[in-house]
Amino acid sequence: MIKFQRIIIPLSSLAFRLILAIIFFYAGIEKIADPGEFAVAIYNYQLLPDIAVNTLAVILPWLEIIIATCLVTGFYVRGAALISSALFLTFATALTINLLRGLDISCGCFGAASGNINWLYLGRDLSLLAISIFVMVCDRGWGSLIALRSN
Amino acid sequence: MFLSRLNKAIRQSLIVLIFTVMVAIVFNLLRPSGIALLGFSSANVIKQRQAQIPEISLSEAHGLYLQKKVLFVDARDPLSYEEGHIAGALNIYPDEAALYAAKLKNNIYRGVLIITYCDGPQCPLSKETAYALISQGAGEAKVLINGWSLWLKAGYPVEKGRD
Repeated sequence: MIKFQRIIIPLSSLAFRLILAIIFFYAGIEKIADPGEFAVAIYNYQLLPDIAVNTLAVILPWLEIIIATCLVTGFYVRGAALISSALFLTFATALTINLLRGLDISCGCFGAASGNINWLYLGRDLSLLAISIFVMVCDRGWGSLIALRSN
Repeated sequence: MFLSRLNKAIRQSLIVLIFTVMVAIVFNLLRPSGIALLGFSSANVIKQRQAQIPEISLSEAHGLYLQKKVLFVDARDPLSYEEGHIAGALNIYPDEAALYAAKLKNNIYRGVLIITYCDGPQCPLSKETAYALISQGAGEAKVLINGWSLWLKAGYPVEKGRD
């Protein structure tokens, strides 16, 4: 039991941080490449007023890249994991609404190269939400470049 | 324990958020392909997409009609529709597309091509209805430009009254 708490949990948390960081880096870079196109992907979800679309298209990719950086370096891990959880919860809500509406739209998850939305994407999203919450609650700062700050 | 971690997480996340907003806005200002933060126009996107909806020729449309592989949608006003329309056509004005989209998704119409039409080569209603139906997930739609006049002139089947 002690071994589990001392080794397995922090090790899992480190692995989850790296998985999340890779996904966020990739997703962020793809979206930053063409903000106009990402804005249209956001618009396709038909959930936001016009005035909010471009602002989100500019900020969200950077948010993904910056929290990826936090997760890798171990700086502000809990904060980054909280934002990550909030993002996946938001994506899950947006996906569910549009799957129920029956809209056949591009996911926009990884910029232009994304497939169209389906229930599998929702499953993937909820799994990532679960590991984000795990990191937020259980991370011990293993592998941190700034070990003192993360605990 | 959990509460103190959550408290810390919230504090950190606010700092990360503020930092991100600043970086994102500055980067967007400096890059050549930056976009206007409040300048998104859904009207422009819709106009572009309406222009991209494929058109279909009269002979092709009639061919599909004979094979019963098509659903005609009359996008004109109800009065014009009552005076005469392509046999079997539904009357869906652009604003009404959302009401009909669910109906068009059911089995009777599944796999059937939707062809919208109105009257006159410049009439925008057929493209507007086609776009509205597609964006509501009603299926594939094409536009028969100047459809009513062409169909009538060709002497193909028409009918009168409401649907």
